[in-house]
Amino acid sequence: MDILFISKYLVVIALIILMLAALRASAYKSTSMGLLGSSVIVNAFALALLIIGGLYNLEFYRDISLALIFFGFVGTVAFAVVLGGDDE
Amino acid sequence: MIEYIQSALLIISAFLIIISAVGVLSLKKDSKNVVYARIHIFGVFDIACIIAMIGLGQYLLAGIYFILAPFIAHAIANAYWKKEDRENNLDLVTVEEVVDDNNPFIHSKEKMQALESENSEKLKADERFSVTMLDIDEGE
Repeated sequence: MDILFISKYLVVIALIILMLAALRASAYKSTSMGLLGSSVIVNAFALALLIIGGLYNLEFYRDISLALIFFGFVGTVAFAVVLGGDDE
Repeated sequence: MIEYIQSALLIISAFLIIISAVGVLSLKKDSKNVVYARIHIFGVFDIACIIAMIGLGQYLLAGIYFILAPFIAHAIANAYWKKEDRENNLDLVTVEEVVDDNNPFIHSKEKMQALESENSEKLKADERFSVTMLDIDEGE
């Protein structure tokens, strides 16, 4: 079996473990922790999509991944600005 | 050869991702500044993502993610500091001043303010050296 193929599956398994860890961490009492956990899950999903799209020849997987990373950033920063409020 | 380099990068990134997952779960949730610690640990995941993207040949995505990831971490930490951490833990705002009394060059703020106030003992002591003026009458 190809070593590149195996290493791609290793990364996907590690990403699934990290998504579960981020889900657990986002259940912490603070709102910022939920924001951080959701941001990490979106980025991990974007990377998993990059790997799985290459393996299974999905269409537009790079574009969807780029959109997830970029709009995940925009949403996270917008939510953080609203959460932080105005400067005193 | 390139295949082996790609595999090595992907395996390194998988290792870093698992390390960050274990780190996030192993933090005690009652410990101090746990949110900042978790943001810090997820920084390892960000770098692992960038390494994996380079290993997959997606250099543009890796560059974009390399630029955007610190902004996310800073925005979340700033929001947490401004609205949750500072309001829930008021003792963070007040800074305790530790002054060694044996050090002749460092004095506490209260001591200096007491010295500079108008009714201080230092000013009363200085009255001993006040300047007196003689009035000279030209008629004498």
